[in-house]
Amino acid sequence: MSDQDRPWTAFYGPSTRKTIDTLDHETIGDFVSAKAEIFGKRPAFTTCLPNGMNGTLTFAQADEMSDALAVYLRDVAGLNSGDRVAVQVPNCLSYPLAAMAVFKAGCVLVNVNPLYTADEMVKQFKDAGPTAIVIIDMFSDKLEEAMTEYPFESVIVTRVAEFLPAMPRGIVGLVQKYWDKSIRPITFDHIRLPEAIRQGRTRHDHMHEVLEGYRSSIGPDDIACLQYTGGTTGVAKGAMLTHRNILMNMAQVMELIENLEDGEEVALTALPLYHIFAFTVNFLGFYSIGAHNILIPNPRPLTNLKRAMENYKITWMSGVNTLFNGLNGEIWFQDTPPRHLKFASAGGMALQGSVAERWQEVTGKPVLEGYGLTESSPVLTFNPFGKTRLNTIGVPVPSTEVKCVDEDGKDVPLGERGELIARGPQIMKGYWNKPEETEKTIMNGWLLTGDIGVMDADGYFRIVDRKKDMILVSGFNVYPNEVEDVMAAHPGIEEVAVIGVPDGSSGEAVKAYIVKQDEALTKDAVRAYAKEHLTNYKVPKLVEFRDELPKSNVGKILRKDLRAEEMAKAAEGQV
Amino acid sequence: MVGPLEQAILALMIFVIMLGMGASLTPRDFVLALKRPYGLFIGVMSQYGFMPLIGFILATTLPVNDTIKIGILIMACMPGGTTSNIFTYFSKGNLALSVLMTVTSTVFGVILIPIVLVFYAGALELDIPRENIIATLVLLLVPVAIGMILRKLNANVGAVTEFMGSLLAVFFILFLIVSWIPRNWEFLLTTTWGTYFGAIALGLFGFVLGYGFSVLLKLHPRNARTVALETGIQNGPLAIAIIAFTWSGAEAQSVMAVPVLYSLFIVITSTMLTMWFRRINTANEQPLPNGLL
Repeated sequence: MSDQDRPWTAFYGPSTRKTIDTLDHETIGDFVSAKAEIFGKRPAFTTCLPNGMNGTLTFAQADEMSDALAVYLRDVAGLNSGDRVAVQVPNCLSYPLAAMAVFKAGCVLVNVNPLYTADEMVKQFKDAGPTAIVIIDMFSDKLEEAMTEYPFESVIVTRVAEFLPAMPRGIVGLVQKYWDKSIRPITFDHIRLPEAIRQGRTRHDHMHEVLEGYRSSIGPDDIACLQYTGGTTGVAKGAMLTHRNILMNMAQVMELIENLEDGEEVALTALPLYHIFAFTVNFLGFYSIGAHNILIPNPRPLTNLKRAMENYKITWMSGVNTLFNGLNGEIWFQDTPPRHLKFASAGGMALQGSVAERWQEVTGKPVLEGYGLTESSPVLTFNPFGKTRLNTIGVPVPSTEVKCVDEDGKDVPLGERGELIARGPQIMKGYWNKPEETEKTIMNGWLLTGDIGVMDADGYFRIVDRKKDMILVSGFNVYPNEVEDVMAAHPGIEEVAVIGVPDGSSGEAVKAYIVKQDEALTKDAVRAYAKEHLTNYKVPKLVEFRDELPKSNVGKILRKDLRAEEMAKAAEGQV
Repeated sequence: MVGPLEQAILALMIFVIMLGMGASLTPRDFVLALKRPYGLFIGVMSQYGFMPLIGFILATTLPVNDTIKIGILIMACMPGGTTSNIFTYFSKGNLALSVLMTVTSTVFGVILIPIVLVFYAGALELDIPRENIIATLVLLLVPVAIGMILRKLNANVGAVTEFMGSLLAVFFILFLIVSWIPRNWEFLLTTTWGTYFGAIALGLFGFVLGYGFSVLLKLHPRNARTVALETGIQNGPLAIAIIAFTWSGAEAQSVMAVPVLYSLFIVITSTMLTMWFRRINTANEQPLPNGLL
């Protein structure tokens, strides 16, 4: 491909390669160990709690402990290469350990949103088929419920304060147990994470040979993660991301970022690591340059970030529009923005121009917006430092082609809108056990994003619309089908249609239009019912009762008509 | 009314509590509070402008005898007390501002207390015990500084100290109330309603005026809460010490009635106010939409 086809490479920094041809490491496990050799005693991960209590693992410790946990998974829990391991853990030291161990064991990581309801967990488990799970103690009650339908042979339980010094760990434990009452006794068979690591550590005399055995059982094109997403159609499916996909994407992003120094950076990770953006960029990308990663278990309320920003010299952070907007509005943040910050990166949802501008005013540093999909590990485009263009998603990362095409798959003329399609080493292998879905999404090696975009003459892209019905609530995909299916099961509801409507704080909000079966049905009852069966962000924020819903000739509910109505209403409101 | 052993225990408790409070602060917090001396200025204004005026009005309108009136006036002219810092902490107020306000009002108190008292009470001859003022400052500043250093050296030690300090603070507040009442039972029964009213209203009016004034001047809610607590909460022990230095016998007991009663009720009213402040603080937290956070 010539530079003419990739005008954006002119905006790369002087040291940025235009293509990345080779992998530096075969698997993520190799990568983890190789970097630990280099950065050994430097701090790699720190859990920072809202009150400032913290615990840290060095690169060497994280490497050694994940080795031991890998041995536990394979030789004590009896897993084989390619077996799936669910990890349902918020940001804390246990997360990187569990993920690294899964890769080193040659197993496949299945990230599970810790906030999922038992129903949602079961659905994901049944599809992915994990044989073991690492879960946070706070949600053991949901696992207990889920296990009635999907039993696990091997359950490893961890806690937020895991590997903190004894005193703070004890205090956090007592507070969680007696004040928050967020931890209940666990009734099913399980092992605690530190005990699992201990057992793995003492299992073999020649641990390195054993680990070498696991590693040699897999290669770069084996699956590293099943990362769940609704994709373009809304049926939950696991994107098969290989070791190559993820390592490449990590390298592509880090290649584009120029002003970072090995071993000198401190990253703030408030986005959940089970989300692909934080996973690839915050976790692996910053691990690769020996950065100290500050993990925030729960960024709500935002004051939970205050101590981390006071106690550590944060040089980089990532977030979504919601997070940046929220921080802009916090008085303590305006007073004491992180002084050492070089820049911030935004993904997950559109970054509003006004939010980016305000952020620059408050911190004196830019937010760079990027774009991608779970299916692309996830980053496709990013704004280069110093050449940021507001309201654009930037330029494609190295070794990545992005273009706009029409309905027939033909390139549209420059400056015209078309569906974004992308090609590169980060594009997934396909959907787990769903070849037809894969065929609909990847054509001739090009990933169809379902987003409608425009490219300018310099190769900067802008998203203008979305082809699919998906709703993007503060960085999380919500699929109307899933919400409608749940709502339709309510006896008081005759018909239901769900769409996304513009929302100031979350970008889009879920709105449900309902035709009542039972006249006594109230909006609160609808929302309460939805809450029982769906994770919070999927619950309709708005409910409207209608006598009928717009339908096509064949009786299909027309979401687009409802959307048009909302757009018209919004336009009127602006006049 | 308070023995030397109890005084020593109380001082030690305050020391540990303030150590914990200090561990929640950074030098930057103080720099910021000093950068906007507005809040500080409002604090001094409320402390030596409003409070003595409230005291004067109460003293002249309530049906109480002269010694009680003097007690009310003295109480009204005291600088901010250390407990104001504790309540500010629990109210999620601006602790650095609170500490600075306590320090400034205490330091300025050496000059301002006599002036204000002369202004309202005429030729009232008072001994201001400097040792007590210095002790108050030391008991406030030294542990706060040590707490800040602890946090700087090790964030975990700081966080644990803060946690222990705040636990002790809750215990301290309960201890003050629980131990005070039985010891002064008889005194409580023989006190007239006017004295009660003066002792309770002084703090309450202080809260209301301090808060209203700050809101009027558009201070951030966090700072408004701080000024309210700082204005309403006076240094009771200092008033008691001043009286003990100046009067003796039955007269001292009578003048002391208001400061003693005030010291009890201010803990109770501050606790209630703090609970309310916490509620509005939570209610005013930015709602984060469900989703990627």
